[in-house]
Formats: sequence, structure tokens, C-alpha cells
Amino acid sequence: MTSQGVRLCSLLLREHFGEVVEKVGTHLLRGGAQNLRTIIHETGISLDLVKKSLCVLVQHGACVFSSGRKGPGSPTEYRTSCDWILRILRYPRYIYTAKTLYGDTGELIIEELLQRGHLTMSSTVKTVADRLTQNMEEGCCMDYNEVSSAFAKLVETHFLQRCPSMVGPGTTASATPSFPDCYKVPHITLVGRGKRQLCGEDGEDQRNTKKAKTDSQVSTHGDEGICWQVNFERFHLHFRDQAIISAVANKLDQTSSEIVRTMLRMSEVTTSPTAAYTKPLSANEIFRSLPTSYNIPRPILDQYLTLLVDDPMEFVGKSGESGGGMYVVNLHRALANLARATLESVVQERFGSRSARIFRLLLRKRHLEQKQVEDFAMIPAKEAKDMLYTLLSENLVQLQEIPKTPDFAPSRTFYLYTVNQLPTARMLLQNCYKTVGNLIERRLFESKESKRLLEKSQRIEAILASLQASGAEPEQLTEVEEMITATEKQQLEALRLHINKLDSAENQVDESIFLIESYVTSTASTMIV
Amino acid sequence: TCLWKKETNTLDVAEVESRIKALCQQFPHGITDQVIQNDMPHLEPQQRAMAINKLLSLGQLDLLRNSSGLLYRMKDIQSTSKMKGSDNQEKLVYQVIEDAGNKGIWSRDIRFKSNLPLTEVNKILKNLESKKLIKAVKSVAVSFKILNVKMQRCEVSPLTRRWTFDQDFESEFVEVLNQQCFKFLQSKAEAARDNKQSPMVQRNSSFATSHEVWKYICELGISKVDLSMDDIETILNTLIYDGKVEMTVIAAKEGTVGSVDGTPCGLCPVFDDCHEGGEISPSNCIYMAEWLDF
Repeated sequence: MTSQGVRLCSLLLREHFGEVVEKVGTHLLRGGAQNLRTIIHETGISLDLVKKSLCVLVQHGACVFSSGRKGPGSPTEYRTSCDWILRILRYPRYIYTAKTLYGDTGELIIEELLQRGHLTMSSTVKTVADRLTQNMEEGCCMDYNEVSSAFAKLVETHFLQRCPSMVGPGTTASATPSFPDCYKVPHITLVGRGKRQLCGEDGEDQRNTKKAKTDSQVSTHGDEGICWQVNFERFHLHFRDQAIISAVANKLDQTSSEIVRTMLRMSEVTTSPTAAYTKPLSANEIFRSLPTSYNIPRPILDQYLTLLVDDPMEFVGKSGESGGGMYVVNLHRALANLARATLESVVQERFGSRSARIFRLLLRKRHLEQKQVEDFAMIPAKEAKDMLYTLLSENLVQLQEIPKTPDFAPSRTFYLYTVNQLPTARMLLQNCYKTVGNLIERRLFESKESKRLLEKSQRIEAILASLQASGAEPEQLTEVEEMITATEKQQLEALRLHINKLDSAENQVDESIFLIESYVTSTASTMIV
Repeated sequence: TCLWKKETNTLDVAEVESRIKALCQQFPHGITDQVIQNDMPHLEPQQRAMAINKLLSLGQLDLLRNSSGLLYRMKDIQSTSKMKGSDNQEKLVYQVIEDAGNKGIWSRDIRFKSNLPLTEVNKILKNLESKKLIKAVKSVAVSFKILNVKMQRCEVSPLTRRWTFDQDFESEFVEVLNQQCFKFLQSKAEAARDNKQSPMVQRNSSFATSHEVWKYICELGISKVDLSMDDIETILNTLIYDGKVEMTVIAAKEGTVGSVDGTPCGLCPVFDDCHEGGEISPSNCIYMAEWLDF
């Protein structure tokens, strides 16, 4: 829990759930696992507000509870972590991925689940169908079956999972359930179609509510108590695969990236999330599973595989000769290379291409003296010295002293410059958190500045809408429209642009955050202790 | 006849010397033995040699050699003053360096030629350098040897002055070579890609050996100096460190997925001082304001 991480988490909590939840969440982040009484005592918030906040946090998977450390019978403790809360930043990306994979239906399903946290299948299907029907043309309705089948597909590919059931006070809840029924779609009886929401018709409203009441009384849909949640890990694996595939496409060509995509797809369900390599796949299997649109003859496929293996990026490795050659995708190595490219691009943007040259040189050659740096990089001595010292002061480059004599006399010591990728990546990650925090704050500041203006425009829009509905004349409409002056319109337009820009910048920085985070976790899990 | 002989025998040495000096002034380009003999036919060769030796040791005559024999020339007043105050050893070292011409000479070689001990030679070289008669030039390849060259123009010798000018890298020159090599490799990769053959062939033909690159650069003629294969390889190494080129050539840069620096925070010089509620904060950040209005 770094200070920048905590700051970002509290900003996110405040924006999505309000100040009370923010206070409780921040307190848990800073203080570790605590029980209910401690939380109430230290935050000074009343009992039921704290209870409600904890409910919200648990519902959204940001907090887990477990029995106390002092043994059975001690009060339950609540625990949260930065990573879980930081997922909120990535919600737009999850929704967008679902849209690309499963269309609008998938998009809305994921959106509903992200908003509600935990939800049963039947209620999800109903709400999504209603929303889709809303956007369709008059007379068309979304059938429940279509939505259910989309839901089932999402479960099949593990993007959705069941929430673990809480049996009693003695159980420990883990954040990543993996019990046998995790991905089993329950058999529900849900027949019908989405209802269009009509406004302004009181009579119909009454009829609708009556109908809804009778509906819920009649059928229980057969899936009570089985709640579903979004499987964030699966989405993360998908993002990681996307990053690797696009890097291969940039580096080599389209066909190689298709081959890597096939290999990753085949090992989706057989490789554990923290593995450093996928399971070995034989070239025969790869050949059979290639999409039919790519008519690559077998020997060409072999050549591509050899090229991939020989590439210095080491995306693909060869692990044996059986079955025409066994190939693996080096996940950890690929992540490390992607993180390295991110680091290098940061240095380049910030300090110029010659400093980037020195940085890459040090990454390759590990330890170098100052004179050697000048010689290899072919940069004049004065400038090279200047650049090295700047990088050193920004902590991107470290100095290693190797003494010749036991007293570290400067004239008799070697001073070697070096770059350690892992600590540098961690430092960059903190900078990214701070950057996103800055962007969010700026966005809130800009909205606050123009609060008066925004309220005015909202009022005017409401007046316009009601006038239009009651059939007013055009002159009245224009009169109302003119209540906003031209300069105010300009200001509103500028404000809208600013906020869009800030939003999209947040998403961009989040992509870098994801890469570096994956690299750090992957290194931590594959390190030999 | 007896009288004649007597007269020549009593010819004064000083007179001979002054006569020779007058002859030298008459013929500024130098006089040979023959001229002296024609002028003073009664002078014996031994006496002539003695007089000439005296003038040489006094430093008033210069001894030169041309195709037909020895030449004696009046020593230039200016050149005498140049070496005034320098002793014979300095003169000797200076002569040795002058003989080496425009190529310069290593200090070790000066020692051999003048047969002086190392400390003496170093002292003399320092003196001559302070009098601005010679110049020391460092070479990048062998930086601990000192090269002494005369103060006038210096020829760029490929062996010693490839990358250096005034003890520094000629950075512009290096940059230009960098660009040219990269362009050459890039065009090769594109040609290979357009070929659309099997991927192995594509990749192999987009290779360029360092020999090919060297030939290309020589043919371009952008450098007045001849470059060797090693030089080209150091340039190619810098391209590798730039991430543009690999040992096996692939012209495209590796995909940098996402970057922190769509935002001004990545380039902000006061990033560490920025806190909410402080003097520098996201709310009043001028860089952000500029970037938003862009």
C-alpha cells in the first residue's frame, strides 16, 4: 500500500461510491485487517453507515472478510487491497473488450454486473433485455433467450463466474474462488421478452407494475441464491494476450501474430494464470487449429515457427522435437520485454533519444564504466556525462562501487553504472498512479469550477424537453434556447472537450499501469526464493 | 713566383670567413664549394674546410645538401632568433619533428631518433609546446600516446584522427553516418518485404552484412576520410542501442504498447513537488491547462 496507491484508491472510491465509503475504504487500506468495532471507533462513523459501506465494498469485490486471527469466536475481520480497488479504473476497458468479443449484448451484461457487483442470472438477463429493447426500433423486442445464450457464452469462456456461497461464520472467503461449480450455468426457466419503458402514460405504468408483480409471484426462475460476478483475472489474461499479439504483429508480420494468437487461444484454459510458459504445443496441433482463412502450407508454418523462435524478443520457444516440434509461448519473457519497451519509451519521451540510447546500452550491457558508456554510445564525453548524471538524479540509473582497496578511496575504486529493471519498473508504476490521481483531480476541479454553468444548462434542457413534449411552438423553444448565451455555449463546449481528453488520458495511462503491474507480479511469482 | 706563394700562405682565417660570408650574401640561395674555390683559387681545401666549420659552429651558416653537392647558406636572422635561448638538444628535437613533416611523430620515436632519455625529451617537448612551436594531438584510438605535430596545418590521417577533432567526437559526422546506415538497412528491408516470397527468404534477404553497409557508405562518398569495417561496426552498434536495428535486421520498431506520456505529467519537471492543496497541484497546473486547450 504505497502512498500514491492509497491516494488513487480513495479518489476512485469517492467518485464511485461516495465519501463515507471512501473513508471506510481508506482506513482499511492504511490499517490492514480490522474488525468492525475498530473501524467504528477510529473513523468515528456511525454503526449502520459503516455496515452499509462494508456491504458495498464486499458486493463489489473490493473487500473480503474472514474470521479473526485470535481464533474461532473472535470477531470477523475485514481486509482490502489496493489491487482490488484499482480495478475500478479499468472498468471501461472490460466493457469495451466484452463489446468486441460478444457484441452489444455482452457489453451490457458486463456493464450491469460491474455496476451491481453481484447479481443473479435471471435479473441480469431481464435488465439487459429491457435496456436493449429501449434502444431498438418501435415494435421490436429483445428475446430473453438471446441474452441468456450470450450470458452462457460468457460463462463458458470463464469471463463470468459464480460468487462463492457463504456457508457460515466459520468459513474463510477468498477473493478468487475456484470451486467445481464455478462455471456451471444453472438451468433457469426464463421465458419472455424485454419490456419497453414508456414514459408519460400513467395508465400503462400501472398495468405494467401489476403485471410485473404477478410475474414475480408466478415464476421463481430456479436460480435463487446463485449470484454471478465478473472474473477479473480472466480479463487480465485476455489483455495480456492482446498485448503480446499486437507486439508480435508490430515486430514481425500479421501471419506470425495469427500463429501466436492461435497458440494462446489453445492454451487459454490449460495454463494457470501465473505460469511463465504455456503448455507445450506440437506443430501438428497448431497446424490443425489455425483459422481456415489463413491457407498456410505446412512447411511455411514450420518456417514461421522457426523465425519466431529465433527472434531476439523470445516470444516463442522450442521445448522439444516430438510431434513435429513442441513450442511454448514465453509469457514471462514477453511481459518483461514489453515492460522494458515501456521504460525505454518513457526515458525517450522525457530526456531525448540520446539519453534513451545510453539507457538501452546499460540495459543490454548491465554494468559499464563512464568511459565505456561514452565509447559505446558514441556521444561526446561532456554530453554523455551530463546525461548520465541527469538519469542518476532521477533514479533511473544506479551507481555500483567496486573497490580495489578496503578503504573506498575514490581514486582506487571502480564506479559502474547499471540499470535494474524491476525496481525501476516499480518506481515508474508509482509515477503512473500519481499521474492518474492528478488527472482525476483536475477533472473534478474543472467540473466544480463550472458547476453553476452546468446546472444552468441542465435546467434549460429540462425546460426544453417538457416544452417539446407538451407541443410548444418553435418561437417558445428558440426563446428558451437563447437563455444560454453564445459565450456560455462556448465554455460548455470547451469544458466537454477538456473532460473527454482527461478521461481518455486516464485510460491510456491505465494501459501502461496494466503492463507494468503484470510484469511485476509475474516476476514476483517466478522468482526463485 | 716565390713571392706569390708567400702571399697566399699568409691569408688570414678571418678574412676567409668574411669573404665566404660576403659570397653567401651575394648568393642568397646558397653557394657550393665550387663557388668558393672560384672566388679564392689560392685557398687550400683544408683552410676552406676549417673556415666553413667555424662558421657552422657559430651558427652563422646553414649546411644543406642538394643534388650536386653541399650548399652553404646564410642563416636566416629570424630563424636564429626563433631558436635563441634554446639549447642544442631542443634544436635537435625540433629538427627531428620538422623532418617528420605533416604526419607527426610519436614521442617514443623522437626519443629513438635523438637518443635522449625520456625525462629530457618530455621536458623539451613541454618547452617547445609553450613556445608554440609544436602541438600535441590526442588520438581516440590510443589515447595515452602523445602525438606531436607542427603548428601549421594538420593532415587528417585515417589512422589517428578518424573520430576526433580537438579531442572530442565529431558528433555531427557520427549522426550523419548513423542516419545513412539506417536508411540503407530500411530500404533493404522494404525491398525484401515487397518480394513476397516465403518468410525465411524475406528475412534472409533483409539482412545486410556489415561488409555491404561499408561498401555502400564508401560509395556514397559522404566522408572525405576512408572508413574501415570496424568503424562501420561501431556505428551499427549505436543503431542497435537506439533500438532501431538489430543484429538481424528488422526495420520496424517493436510495438510500444501504451505510453504514460500522452499526459503532461510524464514530462513535468516539478512532478515530485505536485500535491493537492499545495502551491503546485493538478488544479492549478499550467502544463495541464495548455495541454487541454491544445
